[in-house]
Amino acid sequence: MQGPFQDSPRPVDGLPVLVEGGGVAGITAALDLAAAGRRVHLVERSLVLGGQVLNLDKVYPTDSCAFCPLWTDIRRLRRDPAISVHLASRVIVEEASAEGTLATIETKPPPIAPERCILCGRCAESCPLHAARPLGEHVYPPSFFMDETLCNRCGRCIGACPTAAIDLERNEERVSLKVAAVIRASGFREAELSPLPEFGHGTHPDIMTSLEFEAWTAEAGRNEGRITRKSDGGKPGNIAFIQCSGARDDRLLPWCSAVCCMHALKQASWVKRREPGVDCWIFYTDLRTVGRDYYAYSLRAVEGAGVRLVRGRPGLVHPLPGGGIALKFEDTMTQKREIRRFDMVVLNGNLRPSVGDGYPADAALGQDACGFAAEPADAASSAFQGSAAAMRILTCDGGGPCRA
Amino acid sequence: MPGVIAILCRCCGQIDPAVDLAAVREKIAREDGVVSVEVRESLCLPEDGAAIEKAVRDSGADRIVVAACSPYGKAGEIVSTLSRLANRPQIRLVDIREGCAWSHREDREGATAKACDLLRMALGFFRYGARSADAAVPVHPACLVVGAGSAGLAAAVSVARAGYPVHLVERGAAGGGMLRMISRVYPSDAAADEKLRPYLEEVERNPRISFHPRTRVAAATGFAGDFKIRLASEVGGENVRVGAVILATGAGAWLPRGLYRYGELRNVLTLMELERRGREGKGAAKRTVFIQCVGARCPELPYCAAMCCPSSIKNAVALRKSDPDAEVTILHRDIMMPGHILERYYRNALNAGVRFVRYDAEKPPVVSGGAQVERVEVFDVINGISRTIAADQVVLSTPLVAGSDNARLSEIFRIPLDRYGFFREDYPLHPLETRMGGIFLCGSARWPVSSGEAVTQGEGAAAKALAILGRERISALSMGRMPEGKFGHARVENRFCTGCGNCVAVCPYEACALQRMGPARVSRVNKMRCRACGSCTAVCPNGTVQMPEHNARAVGAMIRRAFAEEDFR
Repeated sequence: MQGPFQDSPRPVDGLPVLVEGGGVAGITAALDLAAAGRRVHLVERSLVLGGQVLNLDKVYPTDSCAFCPLWTDIRRLRRDPAISVHLASRVIVEEASAEGTLATIETKPPPIAPERCILCGRCAESCPLHAARPLGEHVYPPSFFMDETLCNRCGRCIGACPTAAIDLERNEERVSLKVAAVIRASGFREAELSPLPEFGHGTHPDIMTSLEFEAWTAEAGRNEGRITRKSDGGKPGNIAFIQCSGARDDRLLPWCSAVCCMHALKQASWVKRREPGVDCWIFYTDLRTVGRDYYAYSLRAVEGAGVRLVRGRPGLVHPLPGGGIALKFEDTMTQKREIRRFDMVVLNGNLRPSVGDGYPADAALGQDACGFAAEPADAASSAFQGSAAAMRILTCDGGGPCRA
Repeated sequence: MPGVIAILCRCCGQIDPAVDLAAVREKIAREDGVVSVEVRESLCLPEDGAAIEKAVRDSGADRIVVAACSPYGKAGEIVSTLSRLANRPQIRLVDIREGCAWSHREDREGATAKACDLLRMALGFFRYGARSADAAVPVHPACLVVGAGSAGLAAAVSVARAGYPVHLVERGAAGGGMLRMISRVYPSDAAADEKLRPYLEEVERNPRISFHPRTRVAAATGFAGDFKIRLASEVGGENVRVGAVILATGAGAWLPRGLYRYGELRNVLTLMELERRGREGKGAAKRTVFIQCVGARCPELPYCAAMCCPSSIKNAVALRKSDPDAEVTILHRDIMMPGHILERYYRNALNAGVRFVRYDAEKPPVVSGGAQVERVEVFDVINGISRTIAADQVVLSTPLVAGSDNARLSEIFRIPLDRYGFFREDYPLHPLETRMGGIFLCGSARWPVSSGEAVTQGEGAAAKALAILGRERISALSMGRMPEGKFGHARVENRFCTGCGNCVAVCPYEACALQRMGPARVSRVNKMRCRACGSCTAVCPNGTVQMPEHNARAVGAMIRRAFAEEDFR
């Protein structure tokens, strides 16, 4: 903490540490390193910090908003003089040497500079293509942004902006840094489900991945928490949550994504809270509820809220001509096969590390990684893994180069 | 005498059209205590920061009212910058953009009047508002680690390697915890003793680590930076002073008395008993049946202890490897192997020929035999048939339960326990931190974990401790999570305190305590522990406890100004 307090200043020494990824794991690692007196360069690909938590309306098992505690951490990070944040950036070259690692960071500055944006909205008013718009509800620093896939560079926004925040022709910038070590906290992304056509993703607007469903039903989103079909805005009668869609499947992701069972229970409980009449079915293989209060949470969802559990992975998800989606499945606990019509289908499990093809077979190779980049992990695990990754660097004597 | 400076933002023309800033300026300048009013084109652009700081410094003001946008826009950042000025000014933010200019676009007179009202409310607040006095304590650059299992060893070694003395306290005679009771660790299948050796050697070798075996924590007082700990052992007691505490007390085992004929038939064992046999080179059997969720995920212990599935799978594969003819069956309700490492470990067991049979909690398996276990009957729900499995050995996979010392330590360190008796963290996103600053959690003291994860958490908790140990002094106001520091801390006006103790009862951080003062007892607030939640101010019957930053008189003055018909309406 730097400020007008009666603290003694933190000693800062050693080569800086590079943290790749600005989600929970990276933020935690950076804050812990800085608090212990190391300089940090945090590199984040998107325009904002927070990572996937920004895409979550609620977090299990408390069902509380994740953003406020994360927001204070992000603000602390941005105001910490020992931490340099590189947004819209990626590490393009890394050369290890005896004295440390030489890393080159490439930054693509956004057309609307967040530090100059005053949120007046004139760019949005002037834009005929609706390319300029607010970045989102839950972002820091707050700013408008330019959707470059829509922008045709007409330049009307440049004239409208009162603070000269907009430059549509910004070039990429590169900076090279010598760092003591690199922490990989690049998190996860959703895997394309097209190799698994039986789940029907992309064939019907009401077949969504769980993150799409989270955004669609988010209280802080445009639906304000209402549970409606994407296709026609009507109220769904029933929703199917399909676990391990894409995961624990050698055709796509052989691993278990670890967070999806609780995620589905959370979403199904939320649907039940908003619309008790909507039937929620969770199709699972093993209901993995291993954290604190997770099993009790599943009991509340099933016995309390009336979420139905079916053990079995549906073999076919198919849109019906007259509306609705057919699911073909076997309840493996009763050996009954069934075809049932659902109004919405949520696909859970297709999460893969953001960087690379997967996980190394030898776990020791991932020693410098934390969070989902190291092993499928939820926000809490990512947080303590980030702290541990920081500690492994801090324990290298003398603050010199070392492997994490 | 220092006064108030008002800074009004034009927001590059976003505010003027609807709010007459010249009129506002004129009216506010006439108010008591206002030494200057500045109207600026913008406040939040990169080039503004230095200019505003200079203006504030030149005015000599110790109170600043900023009239700009909503705190959720950019104004929060301006306040954050100003709050770092060396004289720690009081700051009030007034929203005249979203709240006045934008919402009353068509009513310039009304918007202007509203802006004036809001500013006058802030000025009213300043008449009684104050800032909490900061206090700093020297940090005792040493760490207490309670428990020398995987988590505690990792924490102690990490802190010591980073350069700080560590007191590592262990109830038993030696370090190692659960690793001393098991043969191998998953997923590497390395011998537990090998995993442990480097840590134990370092504890012995590193002069910064004082190992206290057969010792318990008897009492603790203090706060982050300065804890006074009383250690008690058979040979006597010792007092230590440390800046941070890491609780790594691990978990306890649970015995399945009365279940599956445990204690009745020979060769019905718990998983830990099988591990012990494994360490002695025993435990091999031709036909072994593991039963998962024994005593777990049931009404008595409604949780999954996470490490029982991988542990059973580890032992099952080892049995198959040592004897390829061995028949090994795992009866389970869900195989809990999340992630990529454990999923691969599970598949490895399938390939190694371990059989998995799923049972229904409603129809649990039945173990039978004479003096010795002979068979297990189970309803295989996936195939819909009853099976009778011959068995020479039945292994009951029981959960880890909260350590027997947790309740006592919870009282001593004032860390709440969850309903199962494990220590509770502050918030899921801050899983190693507790409600008490300077006290951290790791390993199965927090929630059952494998030894590998316990090590990770131990290292993480060490990183958290380092944030305190690395400083010479630590101040009360620096202890909040916000970049501006802590909001303030509660203060008791001794003259009016009746010593009723309401504040002591509600304070979640044990910051309020009654102290003798002359013939009476009055409440005292520990600034280092107070987290500015305001609970005490809400229950105090006569308003004696107040948060200087948000005290009742200041809020009262603000409300009066909001409703008073004054000259410039």
